[in-house]
Amino acid sequence: MAELTATVHTCAGGHLLVLAGDLDFRHTPYLREVLEELELGPGQQLVFDLSALTFCDSSGITVLVVARNRALAAHAGVALAALPDQVARIFAVAGLDQVFSLYPSVEAAAEAWTRSAG
Amino acid sequence: MMRRTRRDPGREQDGDAGNASDAMFSALLEDSAEDLYENAPCGYLSTMLDGKIARINGTLLSWLGYSREELVGRRRFTDLLTVGGKLHHETHFAPLLRMRGEIGGVALELSGADGACLPVLVSSVVKTGSDGQPLLIRTTIFDARDRRAYERELLRARQEADVDRARLRRLATTLQRTLLPPTLPSVPGLEIAVHYRIASHDQVGGDFYDVFPLAGGRWGFFLGDVCGKGATAAALTSLARYTMRSAAIHDPDPVAVLGNLNTVMNQEYHSDDPRFCTVIFGVLVVEGTSCLITFASGGHPPALLLRADGTAEYRFTPGGQLVGILPGARFVAGSVRLGPGDAMVLYTDGLTEARPGAGRERYGEEALEDFAFGLAPTSARKSVESVSALLDTFGDGLDDDTAVLAFSVPAPEGL
Repeated sequence: MAELTATVHTCAGGHLLVLAGDLDFRHTPYLREVLEELELGPGQQLVFDLSALTFCDSSGITVLVVARNRALAAHAGVALAALPDQVARIFAVAGLDQVFSLYPSVEAAAEAWTRSAG
Repeated sequence: MMRRTRRDPGREQDGDAGNASDAMFSALLEDSAEDLYENAPCGYLSTMLDGKIARINGTLLSWLGYSREELVGRRRFTDLLTVGGKLHHETHFAPLLRMRGEIGGVALELSGADGACLPVLVSSVVKTGSDGQPLLIRTTIFDARDRRAYERELLRARQEADVDRARLRRLATTLQRTLLPPTLPSVPGLEIAVHYRIASHDQVGGDFYDVFPLAGGRWGFFLGDVCGKGATAAALTSLARYTMRSAAIHDPDPVAVLGNLNTVMNQEYHSDDPRFCTVIFGVLVVEGTSCLITFASGGHPPALLLRADGTAEYRFTPGGQLVGILPGARFVAGSVRLGPGDAMVLYTDGLTEARPGAGRERYGEEALEDFAFGLAPTSARKSVESVSALLDTFGDGLDDDTAVLAFSVPAPEGL
């Protein structure tokens, strides 16, 4: 059973959060704590690198939606990058591909953000 | 013995006060060793090696209600024990004492002159002479009534917790039952079957389903799963069930019903604590020997179609979003016609997210599709029985409740 690790990289433009493992009800309390410590200002962006995510259940989706709602309330942006096929399928079934901005890679997410900010 | 080894230098100046407190200490220290032995806050007992009582203090005599003459030189220590205490003494206490020369903190029960039972903690040491030969046994005895009461209290608290736990289980099961319809209606020309599997008896899961009549010979149905478990999930399940049933009376269009539910759930919960559900809502009507099903999905796993020709496939309803997560979520309706021998199976993700087997890999949608292929052609009842048997094989790999609802149009006789 895969544990979840969350690694945060912070730069002037916002935060990159690299998630690896299972994002399920066993690990969402941990991710919630990590997210609560991240400060987001107007114009900043929170990018999730999901390339090493193995699974995401409904409680995982809840945490991502909370992160999105908090970011939008702070006039910041949220992007999900590099979804593995299995997670992309879960997101498509849940209709989340229309809720989140999805990008094939972290670079693509950053580039799109820079373009829209510029 | 208490002794003041250092004087507080600050006290040197007020010598009178210092002398007065010294005098008080001396008075206390005059407490004789004999008086201390007789009236100590514990029992003292000295016995010969054969167990005969040689000496006993006043405290123990008063606890037991005997006079000194009744015991000293006449009775053995074991005579003071209850039957259970005697047994324990013979089998454990005495052999260990002989072996080690001392033993401490053993719980025994003494029997008083009036037959009353006194729980005590007993410690003994063997006193030896200068040649190392054992001379006698010295025993101290502490009143353990308080401790025994404490243990009884612990036991009672534990029993109460067990009762509470059983009550909680009953409550969870009852609550779960109220969230599901007691029986499904019988729809002419259609076979309907359902199965609900509880993953945990302590927590209410969030799966729900129903089939109910609408105007004009149509029937409404839904199957869904709210996020989370426990009381909040149960409340949300109720909200979802009753909102959809009443919305369907006014306008049974699946997109309208899910839109209505989405609005209600968005009003009820907030952005920091979003509550959502996945659900398939549909309307079905039996037309001759076929059944037309119009349905929309709100982020729910795709339905399975098991055809009369032995094929099986997922029926995706693209575009449907989780219900309750966004104001103005979009839903799209699709439809499917079941002919004789066709079946449609709806399920919740407890089934596909289960982790059967040693590797703890998730069961997954591919495995379910293969399983369905193996079942087709089938009927509602047979497919639900097969899924139930499949769940049996998952054992404790089933993390979440699972609901299965199936419809089928009966195959013509003889096929």
